[in-house]
Amino acid sequence: MNWDHRAPAAGSGTGAGMHSLTRLLPYARPYMWNFLAVLGLVVIFNTTSVLQPYLVKIAIDDDISVSHPSLHGVFIISLVYIAVVVVGVVANYLQILLLQYTGQSIVQRIRQDLFEHIERQSMSFFDERALGRLVTNVSSDTETVSQFFTQFFLSLIRDGLSVVMIVVAMFQLDTHIALECMIVIPVIFAISLLFRRQLRQRYQTTRTRLSNIVAFLAENLAGMRIIQIFRQEDRQARAFADLNGLHYRANVAEYRLSVMFNRSLELLGNVAVALMAWVGGTAVLHHAILFGTLYAFISYIRQFFQPINSITQQWNTLQSSMVAAERIGGVLRVQPAIVDPVRPARVKASRVRGRVEFDHVWFGYRDGQPVLKDIHFTVEPGQFIGIVGATGAGKSSIMNLLLRFYDPSRGSIRIDGVDIRAMAQADLHRLVGMVQQDVHLFTGTVLDNIRLFRDDIDEEQAIRAARTVGADRVIERLPDGYQTQLFAKGANLSMGERQLISFARIVALNPRVLVLDEATANLDSRTEAWVQRGLRAVAENRTTLVIAHRLSTIREADRILVLDRGRIVESGRHEELLRLDGYYAELHKKSGIEDGMQVYGLGPRMQRGNRGLLGPGARML
Amino acid sequence: MTVQFPHVLGNFTDALQARRLTGHSIAMYSLTLLAIGALYMVLYGIGQLMNGHLGRAFEYQLRERLFLHWERLSASYYHRRSTGDLLNHALNDVRAVREALSGGMNILFNAIFLLLSTLYMTFRTVSVKLTLVAIIPILFVPLFVVFFGPRLRDASRQVQEALSDVADLTEESLSAIRVVKATSNEAVEARRFRTRLNAIVARQMAMFRRSATFQSLIPLMGSISFAIALLYGGYLTVSGRIHLGEFVAFTLYLTMMIQPLQQLGFVFNNFQRASASLRRLTVLLTEQPDIADAPHPVQPGHIKGEVEVRLREYRYPGGNRAVLRQVQFHIPAGQTLGIVGRTGSGKTTLVNLLPRIFDPPPGAVFIDGIDVRDLALADLRQAIAYVPQDGFLFSTSIGENIGFSREAATQGEIEEAARLASIHEEIVDFPQGYDTLVGERGITLSGGQRQRAAIARALLKQAPILILDDSLSAVDMNTEKRILENLRRVRRGRTTIVIAHRLSAVRHADQILVLDDGEVVERGTHDELVAAGGVYASIYAMQEGGAVG
Repeated sequence: MNWDHRAPAAGSGTGAGMHSLTRLLPYARPYMWNFLAVLGLVVIFNTTSVLQPYLVKIAIDDDISVSHPSLHGVFIISLVYIAVVVVGVVANYLQILLLQYTGQSIVQRIRQDLFEHIERQSMSFFDERALGRLVTNVSSDTETVSQFFTQFFLSLIRDGLSVVMIVVAMFQLDTHIALECMIVIPVIFAISLLFRRQLRQRYQTTRTRLSNIVAFLAENLAGMRIIQIFRQEDRQARAFADLNGLHYRANVAEYRLSVMFNRSLELLGNVAVALMAWVGGTAVLHHAILFGTLYAFISYIRQFFQPINSITQQWNTLQSSMVAAERIGGVLRVQPAIVDPVRPARVKASRVRGRVEFDHVWFGYRDGQPVLKDIHFTVEPGQFIGIVGATGAGKSSIMNLLLRFYDPSRGSIRIDGVDIRAMAQADLHRLVGMVQQDVHLFTGTVLDNIRLFRDDIDEEQAIRAARTVGADRVIERLPDGYQTQLFAKGANLSMGERQLISFARIVALNPRVLVLDEATANLDSRTEAWVQRGLRAVAENRTTLVIAHRLSTIREADRILVLDRGRIVESGRHEELLRLDGYYAELHKKSGIEDGMQVYGLGPRMQRGNRGLLGPGARML
Repeated sequence: MTVQFPHVLGNFTDALQARRLTGHSIAMYSLTLLAIGALYMVLYGIGQLMNGHLGRAFEYQLRERLFLHWERLSASYYHRRSTGDLLNHALNDVRAVREALSGGMNILFNAIFLLLSTLYMTFRTVSVKLTLVAIIPILFVPLFVVFFGPRLRDASRQVQEALSDVADLTEESLSAIRVVKATSNEAVEARRFRTRLNAIVARQMAMFRRSATFQSLIPLMGSISFAIALLYGGYLTVSGRIHLGEFVAFTLYLTMMIQPLQQLGFVFNNFQRASASLRRLTVLLTEQPDIADAPHPVQPGHIKGEVEVRLREYRYPGGNRAVLRQVQFHIPAGQTLGIVGRTGSGKTTLVNLLPRIFDPPPGAVFIDGIDVRDLALADLRQAIAYVPQDGFLFSTSIGENIGFSREAATQGEIEEAARLASIHEEIVDFPQGYDTLVGERGITLSGGQRQRAAIARALLKQAPILILDDSLSAVDMNTEKRILENLRRVRRGRTTIVIAHRLSAVRHADQILVLDDGEVVERGTHDELVAAGGVYASIYAMQEGGAVG
């Protein structure tokens, strides 16, 4: 699941990576006891492994290779041997499960925190980042980090402990010979040191080249249409072959070196055994030690090199977990640009009347490029406000600010006199709702999608909401009605059907203030009529701001704000603005609309005297 | 080679016990041991290297094949599959197969060879009876393999699915982040996420329980064998039927067998995973391209660029809704067609039928009177230049991007195309000029620059038919005007299709189609349409009011 060799973040040297790993260590702290238990189990398992040659030694020295061999003794030893093995196997089994469980639990926590951390970020965070990268952070980088807690950690304690125990056992047997054996340790270090630098370099090269392949593939898969239309398949294939070849060569070079490294250690092991046979054999000859002792020493020295080899194999695991940890840390370090105040204003949704004020608001997505300039207006509770203007005039930004996706750079926005920055975001979003142009569905049933999986909206409320906006007829036509499974990507609903579900959603949530963003621009003319009926139901009894692309939509509005290049240039009722004979009047004249019949989006077939979006209903507001 | 090791040690032991040894012969034994060890190391290392090379060469070729295969698949395929999923195939599945092939094969052969030769050596040098008795528990190992194999594969697949689930939910939730935030639904999303995570842990643990049992049983059997050897061998030694040296050698042989057995278990685990990956890759590689050359393509000669569309209906492959209905029009060679309509009205789908990005039904789309389905893809696409909606660029330099359509394009030609697309001046102002890297998908450029670079790329192709898919939307009005003027000049006598939201881009077209819900609802020249006072006229009013747009 993980392509952990993805683009190494710039500047993620070993130092930064190590630092990031240690920053994740607090996640391991609650599992201290688990790790200690694992340690204990490893000790038991290792003890049993170390005991095994020792038992054979006892059998040889005490029972077999003596003047009066005792079969009884051998029998006892064999039983003990089996008991030791069983204990060892059980300990090992428990250790595997416990460690995996611990590792998985830690990763689960990291994942959960990472996910919640990302969801807490303000919209500017998402503007700057590719979605795919974030998904990779959550799904595969965490997986790679888990290998640190399972594989690397395990290797470190199991193999480290093995080495220590073997050494201790050797000293127990014979201090003198054991001391002589210790010569291999500096040699091991020397060999490791010799290879380490090169190994790391080659590992990095391979990883970088693989990440080039990934980047190339990701880009070319996304742009396959372009390649095919411009008929550059051969050329791109050649480019890919080049990258692929570079990676292949680096990979082989890395592999060759690591084979050489491991074989050198093995050669050292063989040299050690030969030396042991020589030194030990001479000692046996001179009766300095028993033969069984020599046997044990030879076994130990062979065992000694297994954990050493295994630790060196974990080198790559450590490297890739450091890279992954660095990437996770990069996300976790970002503080949300918008946070709740320490002591949020108390807001009771039922008491809020829905008066919206923009008080000399300035805003820009980038410094020095204001999108909204000195926006100042007030919407009385229950009013219906239209916002018009050309693409890029700043209409959507008003919605973004009212929902606090971003904070204004100057000025303030108030609901019932309370600055929205003083409210908890959850409270604000209970008051203000939005309907977007594109509707997002979640994997789940229709019902789940209306109530957004929330507990505070029960099935009955959801169904009532669907009925209110007229979505029930559509839903009942679906194969399983409200229980029909929907998919985020699978387009098993048409645009209009999706839109109706989003209306039902907003009615179920029942906000006091509602912002509609070009909500019907996507609809085909056929579904337009029933969606408009739904909209009328949604807007009832709420303060409503509609970002309009069609003048007919807002004809009946209590007030129309005309935006031009980030400023409100005109404001008033439809008739007033016409009388003003300014920007809006010009817009209107050009549209050739006299009675709201011929409007963008209402194809000729729809010209049945539709009185605009809200029709007569708007009067009621 | 390594199997000689215990044999030598056994002889050494016997000699030592028989007090036949001198300092000199001890040294000789040591040297023999060393020579055996060194030789083994070299041979094993060579084997390892050969296997490693083989595996990596295989990995290289597999990726190569995947890419070549992908290049033949159509847009509808990429519509269905996520890039992340495809990358997963190219990286993780390929790697899993390689690991099994190189590391796994290596260990497997080594283990099998070790096992067989150890057995052979024990039969030959140590008591056959002892070997036979001691080997009994090890004979159970194949049974375990048969039993655990499918169970392990199943468990591993379930883990993979749970992991995919989490990735999917993350993607879903983050794509809908505005909804989530606007409804303060973060906590609910976190809860949904948590249930997915719990599923992962549960399935991982189920898998580890199986694999841990499997991997524990093998050394357990080995150890029981060893205990039997100890007991029975001890009895034989005590009763003087075998020498102590033989006994020592045998126990060493047995310990030598335990390790390959353990490795076999490990390799076996890997193979199960790799076989799942190999299956996924096979499915991918056997996918047939749904858009391919006709069996006997028509040789078009010189394409003039006359376009005729007589489409009754178009549905996406597997779709149940017609996205285009009754679309009929004709563009005489050299004319310009404008297409306007709302998002989702079918404009992009319509023009994608021309280069067969999506495949039109037979007898629906014609170029120079030839059904596009009867042309070879190479000829067809040679005749069409296309500017996509998003101005897709590759992360190479801006010069390379503009020259993408022709590898042999000269710098002069590239600059000329850039000039026509009104981007030359800006490129020259970049510190690295045409060598400026545009970053991942052209991220270092502004939206307008990206679109203009894509236009330059298409112009360089000098194809008889040029399609601009809403590719002036991020360009300001004055620049748009300049580009359109240039287009009219250089495209004189060649066919151009312009999709636009902003009507200024189509007002000079010879013919304009207004699309709504997949149907042509109005058609005519700009003046005719404005005069008609229909949909087009109302859009026009709205946009002209918005002046700067």
